[in-house]
Amino acid sequence: MRINGQVYNLGLDNRTSLLDALRDHVGLTGTKKGCDHGQCGACTVLIDGKRVLSCLSFAVMNEGREVTTVEGLASADDSLHPMQQAFIDNDAFQCGYCTPGQIMSAIGCISEGHAGSEDDIREYMSGNLCRCAAYPNIVAAILQARDEMRRA
Amino acid sequence: MRPFVFERPTNISAAVALVSSFADGRAPTQADVQFIAGGTNLADYMKLGVARPRRLVDLNDLSEPALRQIRISDGTIRFGALVRMGEAADRGDVKRHCPLLAESLKFAASAQIRNMASLAGNVLQRTRCEYFRETSWPCNKRVPGSGCAAMEGLNRQHAVLGTSDACIATYHGDFAQALIALDAVVDVEGRHGTRQIRFAKLHQLPGDTPDVETDLAADEVITAINVPFSEWSRRSRYLKIRDRESYAFALASAAVALDMDGDTVRQARIALGGVATVPWRARLAEEALVGKRLDQSAAETAADAAFAEAKPRRHNEFKVPLGKRTLVRALIETRDMKV
Amino acid sequence: MNQAAPAPKENMGNPIPRVDAGLKVTGQAGYPADLAVANVAYGVLATSNIAKGRISALRLDKARAMPGVLDIVSVGDMDGVDKPKFGNTGASSIGPLHDRTIFHDGQIIALVVAETFEAAEEGAMQISADYTQETPSASFDSAGAEMEPAAGKSPLFKEDVNAGDFEAAYSTAAVKIDQTYSTPTQHHNPIELFSTTAMWQGDKLTIYEPSQNVTGWKIELARQLNIDPVNVRIVSPYIGGAFGSKGPMTARTAIVAVAARRVRRPVRCVVSRMQAFNTQTYRAETRHRIRIGAGKDGRITAFAHEGWEVTSRPDPYVVGGTSATGRMYDYGSVLTRVSLVHADRNTPGYMRSPPETPYVYALENAMDEMAVALGMDPVQFRRINEPQKEPIGGKPFSSRSLINCYDQAAEAFGWSTRDPAVGSMRDGDWLVGMGCATAIYPTAAAPCAARVRLTADGQVRVQCGSHEIGTGVRTVAAQMAAERLGVDIDKVAVEMGDSALPPAPVSGGSISTASVCSAVLKACEAVREKLFVAAAGNDGPLAGSGNAKLDMTNEKVVTETGKSAKLADVFKAMQIGAIEEYAEFAPNGSSPEALKKLYAGQAEFHGGDQDKDSVKYAFGAEFVEVRINSYTREIRVPRMVGAFAAGRIMNTRTARSQLMGGMIWGIGQALHEATEIDQRHARYVNRDLQDYLVPVNADIKAVDVILVPEVDHEVNPAGVKGLGELGNVGTAAAVASAVYHATGRRIRDLPIRIDDLIT
Repeated sequence: MRINGQVYNLGLDNRTSLLDALRDHVGLTGTKKGCDHGQCGACTVLIDGKRVLSCLSFAVMNEGREVTTVEGLASADDSLHPMQQAFIDNDAFQCGYCTPGQIMSAIGCISEGHAGSEDDIREYMSGNLCRCAAYPNIVAAILQARDEMRRA
Repeated sequence: MRPFVFERPTNISAAVALVSSFADGRAPTQADVQFIAGGTNLADYMKLGVARPRRLVDLNDLSEPALRQIRISDGTIRFGALVRMGEAADRGDVKRHCPLLAESLKFAASAQIRNMASLAGNVLQRTRCEYFRETSWPCNKRVPGSGCAAMEGLNRQHAVLGTSDACIATYHGDFAQALIALDAVVDVEGRHGTRQIRFAKLHQLPGDTPDVETDLAADEVITAINVPFSEWSRRSRYLKIRDRESYAFALASAAVALDMDGDTVRQARIALGGVATVPWRARLAEEALVGKRLDQSAAETAADAAFAEAKPRRHNEFKVPLGKRTLVRALIETRDMKV
Repeated sequence: MNQAAPAPKENMGNPIPRVDAGLKVTGQAGYPADLAVANVAYGVLATSNIAKGRISALRLDKARAMPGVLDIVSVGDMDGVDKPKFGNTGASSIGPLHDRTIFHDGQIIALVVAETFEAAEEGAMQISADYTQETPSASFDSAGAEMEPAAGKSPLFKEDVNAGDFEAAYSTAAVKIDQTYSTPTQHHNPIELFSTTAMWQGDKLTIYEPSQNVTGWKIELARQLNIDPVNVRIVSPYIGGAFGSKGPMTARTAIVAVAARRVRRPVRCVVSRMQAFNTQTYRAETRHRIRIGAGKDGRITAFAHEGWEVTSRPDPYVVGGTSATGRMYDYGSVLTRVSLVHADRNTPGYMRSPPETPYVYALENAMDEMAVALGMDPVQFRRINEPQKEPIGGKPFSSRSLINCYDQAAEAFGWSTRDPAVGSMRDGDWLVGMGCATAIYPTAAAPCAARVRLTADGQVRVQCGSHEIGTGVRTVAAQMAAERLGVDIDKVAVEMGDSALPPAPVSGGSISTASVCSAVLKACEAVREKLFVAAAGNDGPLAGSGNAKLDMTNEKVVTETGKSAKLADVFKAMQIGAIEEYAEFAPNGSSPEALKKLYAGQAEFHGGDQDKDSVKYAFGAEFVEVRINSYTREIRVPRMVGAFAAGRIMNTRTARSQLMGGMIWGIGQALHEATEIDQRHARYVNRDLQDYLVPVNADIKAVDVILVPEVDHEVNPAGVKGLGELGNVGTAAAVASAVYHATGRRIRDLPIRIDDLIT
């Protein structure tokens, strides 16, 4: 499995979810466990560029795939991804726990072409619960990042 | 979670062989083996201890290209079984030819789940009945003969159509409502070869055996879903009513396609979600509309027909009026579509 | 500036971005279950599936035989460990592994420890128990539930407040209502799962666990384990949402500590979402009867609020919101009474605005009904009953900007465009309704300590054992220090969430900003004083300036006349490299023992309605528009406006976010949230985020938060009123009012769902 561009050879229990593999075996704890049953979106990562829930995927099913987590977003010089900066600028979180999942999902939302309007963003971001309820700020952040990513 | 052997075959026949190779020659059960594609339903139920397969056969490396393709030709949309819900929902030609199909996918689950879940896996998803999900409750579907905790329990989410004395669990899927409305056919491959199943025959009413959910044997895998369409299926839509705006199961939904001759209904296709134990074709409602001018009153008559046999329980009585109004609204909105 | 960063008005601080924002967007903020631990073993709980009875046999053999299972802690394994205590720090007196009695569904019966999470989880699934079962009492109407007056049963609720002769006034009132209201069971459901990681090094124990009260937990855990508190450390650097759920320590913490001691290695137990519903606290269901009598002029002559709350069999948890509702308006007379109903349930606990959310919901829904009965505009009705003094003790409000909030919110909302006739507003197939309600939250503060260090290069370190649960307390503490010490906020490092730091009170009751900022302020003043004395002293760079009029800015000490000295030069004159000050803040009216109690993990709250001189509350007004489909009756909230006044606003960005989040919580309370209880078995049925619905992004459209300037020097030295719990008070009543306006249906039982409107 490639994670954030790096190859990992992991000897895992077949039962280990991709989420637990990332957190407990690779040490990438940016990806969060919020429900472990596909109901909250906190564990969202990109697999081969598509946003998915790492809690509902067995790690063993991802052999040979490219996984991107929140730790893999910043560029080599450590500068933030436009989405990360937009989340800061728009205060798109409070406790910050759902944030990595929101950010990964937001990047997927834009690359899928589902960030055309505020209503689209709300609908296509509804798989990511935010209990602090920063939703309007999350929508604002995605609009900002979308425009910056288009320019880039 | 019970430990399991993991297999990753590279073609369909290898997959079928893997689920047919049991030493004692008996037919495999779901405790022996299950297929996995997206995993969004199965992984959840394995974590909950509801599904405890000893072997898991991962279909994601199957090499047959048709499994991942959507082909449109001769009045049929053929969805490969491994096409993901999100991809199908976003396809411009699917939206154009049959908005109902795309909408039923778009309003299901979340974007992440739609990126994971295969179309075949989606139609085979198991009920989300709270008493089914938790192994500490009696449940005839999970443990045949153990009883039904939902019958006299909290059954707001439960079905009012297609119920039995053994089970009132709702079939929560959305795409299946579109498929049953449009007379889809599924291609299946198993140890006895290939066959086709009419979608309407795929899911089984609970009856006395709610544990038997589909017509598929444990060694059979869906390879494709074929949906016939016509010029008139452009006039179709899926209306889903739920407690919140998104990412929730239907309290009631209506899949509607209308073949109109001016104001008059030539042919109607209607299926109902969130209210029945299986994907539910409302044929009585369809018949009530044929040859009629589709106005509010005709829509209400059809809705009454659709729910004539409804058997609500204590907490889901509201689903009868809600289901009817959902259908009426869907009919009127479909009638008024500009196509 | 963008929408998230409103321009500060009078008495408001700058919308500085959160100081920990960079860590949070990169996944580097370490929540307790993220913190790396070498050689960790995994623990998974096994829980009961009955609500009442006794364990007659516990079957552990299959689990013990599972490959990878290291140990099982179960009933009888807590020798030498004292039972938990119910109170401010302890969630419940139930010690689940101390005896075989089952008090509630989902009670812990064992902890399985294994080499891997997967093995522990399968091990826990293989544990079964035989029970001697009894029929449980689920809630209010269940056979066997025991009712008692709440007053005096808990330190949180001393008495039922009363004023005047309610019965006489009510019987002669020209217009009156008498209605009942209810709110359902609710669970906090922060997105971070609950977890405990326990590590022993010799006789020293370190716990990583999300906590709103590290100092209190240290003391309570040491008591349970019979060890010296000096040997216990609770670490909780970032908390993934709390809302009260991580305030009281539950029985699990000691159980995991015992397990770690037995297996002689660290043990991490992350509790499943399902199990959390039963092993943590929650907001219990409430019922209310409200009677209001008024003259035809709209002046309220009689107000009675009776409340009933469910609690567990052994513990008298009570919220008792009548002390706020009884002081809300200029009632001629007040009668209140709160009762507790003991059932076979886990012990409830505080959840965001514990008393106000249910009690003010009932009051404000009733106020709207009363306005309708009077034929009066609901805003005007509140204006008429605006008090000069609170009606119970006749004390003044330290400040009360409610009418100002109503005016500003009504203006922004466009209240004047509302046609008051029920069902009169429509947009295509959608019925439109508009409603409003009052928000209120008591302003309190508690003793708090902080250590501030300033070095010659202008670096500042603030240390305080408070908790960053998403409120932005790290940011406002940094702001306070940066402002007082005249340095850029980037130079301030704030350490929190560790019981080894100077103690802070529980982060609950919206006291943190006031308490922490007051302590940081006091420490900063001491640092300044030392610098000023040195700077203005005979050998100082500003000799002869007189230190009374000095200030700090841009890493300089400056005089009124414009002279300045660089920090480095002042330090040079002092011949030291750093100044470090430890400050202890205690609010006015604190008892002589208040600070001692702080170190003992007990917060002594002051403010609210408890002070002698005045009552201290923050206020707000909320306006909501609902749309209800005329066919299918789903309810949506396209826009809401809230105006709030809460004294000094430290940071308009974090303040707005908290208030907005609160308002959205209010939408959840109104339309979505309810823990469903199977009454036959006293068991929660929807124990997950699939069936316990909270608002998603698509539910929330326009949310407008107006920060109303307010100056209140009386509340505390920082002049800050808490606002973390203000935003969600009243929202549900505003929604209920709007639903009535749209449909003519008065829904009194929350949540309001399609079921209520379809027939």
